[in-house]
Amino acid sequence: MILAAVLAAIIVTMGLALVRAGKGPTVFDRILALNMFGTKTVLLIAVIGFITGRPDFLDLGLVYALINFIGVIAVLRFSKYGDFADPDREKAS
Amino acid sequence: MMPESAFEIVSAVLMLTGALFAVIGGIGVVRLPDFFCRIHGAGITDTLGAGLILTGLMFLSPGWIVTAKLVSILVFLWITSPTSTHALANAALETGLRPRVDEAEEASSIP
Amino acid sequence: MTALLLTLLCATAVAVLRMRGLFAAVMLMGIFSFLGAGWMLLLDAPDVALTEAAVGAGISTILALATLALTTRKAKRPVRPSALPLAVVTITGAALLYGTLDMPRFGDPEAPASNYPQPSYVERTDHDIHIPNVVTAVLGSYRGYDTLGETVVIFTAGIAVLVLLRGSRKRRPAADGGEDAA
Repeated sequence: MILAAVLAAIIVTMGLALVRAGKGPTVFDRILALNMFGTKTVLLIAVIGFITGRPDFLDLGLVYALINFIGVIAVLRFSKYGDFADPDREKAS
Repeated sequence: MMPESAFEIVSAVLMLTGALFAVIGGIGVVRLPDFFCRIHGAGITDTLGAGLILTGLMFLSPGWIVTAKLVSILVFLWITSPTSTHALANAALETGLRPRVDEAEEASSIP
Repeated sequence: MTALLLTLLCATAVAVLRMRGLFAAVMLMGIFSFLGAGWMLLLDAPDVALTEAAVGAGISTILALATLALTTRKAKRPVRPSALPLAVVTITGAALLYGTLDMPRFGDPEAPASNYPQPSYVERTDHDIHIPNVVTAVLGSYRGYDTLGETVVIFTAGIAVLVLLRGSRKRRPAADGGEDAA
């Protein structure tokens, strides 16, 4: 019951993040929404694991957290430098 | 279903508070006027929301290994979430996005 | 719960389609992948969900961004709406839906998927390979060469993509100076 309420709250938050990702207006708003969405997915997985009585799903949550972090850093790198080039090496050459 | 043990009551309180903070942060992300304000909203969901919900789940965990996984997820979120938020704000500042401030304040702060 | 997730999924898909800025579309595709993974988890397929998150939200996003870096960030406005793509999509969708009619009921014990690789794998694994996870045993041992081939293909594809991205970057600074400042 309580877990279901928490799950519903998480999904509502995901919807709100989705609204922000759709509205923009800057690139960074969308990245922020993506990051938030990733964190909410981790929570969603954890709560679903407890609702279905299979907390083994938590491994998945851990992997998602990692992927989310790496993804956001990669996206930021892209939006800052325009591609994934190594800025130091570009300067040296 | 009524909560039975003290652990369940504690976990229910923690999780419901966390869910409340998550939704509040979500509303903040949609309604706050400016990107740097919206980071604050996302920060609420990532720290208080996620932290309280995961701590609440820890009280329900059937064994120590599940608790350990929850703790590692929590620690990981605590490390990565501020890092990515900081990188985000930094990147936004470097590309020329400026926080919105009061016009009077802005006028007085310009040397 | 599934209905809620699917509603969000559809909303994201429509938002991606209506988006002209390609960067935003890539971000929304990442969100779409996360949602899809959550949905697969609800359907009790954690391994597929894991792959969806790693490939869909992780690698695809990065590859799409790398493509944007090499090309452009705005989608061209279609000159005029054409009926042909709509017809192709409708026919393909209808064919796929028709195909699902033949599929066995969810969880049917008589379904080919539950019978074809002999259920005796489940019993033999413990004796043959001494590990508890049957899927790992099938992938790593019973079909070891198959898995090796798949890994080689994916590895080669990864190297090819890296080489392409690198080779095109060397020529770039001369070609276009600072036009892609974010």
